[in-house]
Amino acid sequence: MAVLHFEYKMEIQYEEHVGRCYFTIKCIPRENARQHLLGTELSILPETAYSQGEDSFGNRQIYGCETEPHKRFVFQSTGDVEILQADYEETEDEMTGLFRVPHGKCVPSPGLSEYYRSQNFSSCKNHFEICMELMHRLYQDFSYVPGITQVGTTAAEAWELGRGVCQDYAHIYITLLRMAGIPARYVCGLIIGEGASHAWAEALCGGRWVAFDPTNDCQVLDHYIKLGHGRDAADCAINRGLMWNGGAQSQKISVLVEKRE
Amino acid sequence: MEQLELLKHADKINELLARYGVKFGIYKNNVFKEQLFPFDSIPRIIGHEEFSHLEKGLKQRVMALNLFLKDIYGKKQIVKDGIVPEDFIFASSGYMAECEGVVPAKDIYSHISGIDLVKGKDGNWYILEDNLRVPSGASYPMIARDLCRRSSPGTFHNYRLEDNRNYADLLRRAMDYVNPGGHTVILTPGRYNAAYFEHSYLAEKTGAHLATGSELVAENDILYYISSDGTRERVGAVYRRISDEYLDPMVFNPESLIGIPHIYEVFRKGNVALINAPGNGVADDKGIYYFVPKMIQYYLDEEPILCNAPTYLPFYEEDMKYVLSHFDDLVLKDVAEAGGYGVVFGSSMTKQQKQDFIGLLQSEPRRFIAQEVIDFQDLDIVDHGEIVPRKADLRAFVVMAEEPFVWKSGLTRFSRNTDSFIVNSSQGGGFKDTWVLYQ
Repeated sequence: MAVLHFEYKMEIQYEEHVGRCYFTIKCIPRENARQHLLGTELSILPETAYSQGEDSFGNRQIYGCETEPHKRFVFQSTGDVEILQADYEETEDEMTGLFRVPHGKCVPSPGLSEYYRSQNFSSCKNHFEICMELMHRLYQDFSYVPGITQVGTTAAEAWELGRGVCQDYAHIYITLLRMAGIPARYVCGLIIGEGASHAWAEALCGGRWVAFDPTNDCQVLDHYIKLGHGRDAADCAINRGLMWNGGAQSQKISVLVEKRE
Repeated sequence: MEQLELLKHADKINELLARYGVKFGIYKNNVFKEQLFPFDSIPRIIGHEEFSHLEKGLKQRVMALNLFLKDIYGKKQIVKDGIVPEDFIFASSGYMAECEGVVPAKDIYSHISGIDLVKGKDGNWYILEDNLRVPSGASYPMIARDLCRRSSPGTFHNYRLEDNRNYADLLRRAMDYVNPGGHTVILTPGRYNAAYFEHSYLAEKTGAHLATGSELVAENDILYYISSDGTRERVGAVYRRISDEYLDPMVFNPESLIGIPHIYEVFRKGNVALINAPGNGVADDKGIYYFVPKMIQYYLDEEPILCNAPTYLPFYEEDMKYVLSHFDDLVLKDVAEAGGYGVVFGSSMTKQQKQDFIGLLQSEPRRFIAQEVIDFQDLDIVDHGEIVPRKADLRAFVVMAEEPFVWKSGLTRFSRNTDSFIVNSSQGGGFKDTWVLYQ
């Protein structure tokens, strides 16, 4: 199967000096039966000591505190990943029920409930078919338009707007799947041909986590690298920071994924 | 009557309590108001044998609750075996996914448990609720006893009662038992917290540092205390008196100003003990309460020594039927609320309220439990110079170190209004000392 090379870089520019900044970064791909890490490197500027570990979802995380006053904070993660199986993962934990209850940004609203009730799954024989059917429907009924929604937008809000980006597709899709009683989780990752991080979903079908990409109306293929998963985007946010001062900030993200020959 | 001798000093003791700062700060309509926590000098007296029975039952309960927490944040065997439905775990507001797979030192989750009980008119004790997050209240009978001894030493010559001033030793023992190395700190949100008196009192009595979040810093997976001269010293145990949500803005509520960034990672790596462990709310949820007797059977293979108040879960169809047909005899509790809020008596509702409530109950059955109203015993209190009966409960404290210890005292709270069953201090109740007699 494929070997993918990736580079993820985030650059945050502040208007004023930041005196102190705590960070938690989740941008190293998970190692599991789906994907095998052939080597990764991480750099942070200004240079600082950091710790490594895993969060409770098993996502890799690095964290620390930048104490040098700075106006520019950059981190970059690069490496190679071998994709062993494209579209599913074995369930390795006891937390599946957790992904069946509404949480955070994936809570049903009257609008979403009404949409869910308008669906007809009578021809679907199993969870997998319901996932496919819902994905096709959502792809038709929601539009990909950047700049309308934000990082904090919930599934319900995005649904009312009718437009959004991959995070919104994933949130809405997950909310609907959970309404159908199917455990579903949010995935943050990288794909070929996208200049930023991507988001999709995994649903529990026949005892496996099967990955669906509602933004592109397809099953996940071997050009997808998974970084992390959680109940919603916040659980596997690539960057969480807490800073003193700094004023206004702007972010620049660049992502490169390519197949190794 | 030696007790009467003590009664003469009641005003003086209340005056001293006020001077020491034994107050309760509460928010009412968004206004912070400090009120005194009135002390009634007639103690609740529990005999040796009766208390031994309570002691056995409380230890058993707390052992089972600790095993439950370890199971829930680990293998979840009790759910797989169908004893507790999954819905009561993952949809509980006290369940924290962030605690999955994190095992606290020595497998202890609830180092300090506050178990609320009442004594029924039938003479039996009933458990009303478990408090495994940040149960407060031990300092009040401690200081009250101290002041009573000073003002009326004679009283204490004539009763063979257990000294309750060892609470600080128990607490220190529990904190030291899980401390991997370093100082012990009591973490307070600050003086505007309802229980600030307790935080400072327990720090003084246990010899721990009293600190706010800004005096602690997590660095390279180690927690440090920064003293006033700027030196840092390692901290090994934090008896935190702030709730889970505010503990670490990098993991929980990002708006928290009273927490410590990355303290949770230090805990995850086993370099600091958090007392009590985060995530305990999943075990003291009013919905989970129903399952505690089943937990005792499941984990310990023993019959529960202390009973719950008879409780119904409208989540189960059979129980819903019972609740609807006996509505007026029951008290209904919202599982997400605490401190005496969200508690309604079926008999006190108007027809319209009842109708609305039943509608809510049917649309969100998991949100409520229903209990038989226990007619609990009154205790005498002095009200404007007269002795009158009032409803009272008992918060017993179980401290876990190598084994569970039940503090031979407890906080007896009473309602100041006739006929009211609600004794919570946040609702204006008062307190008594609890005397346990020895043989």
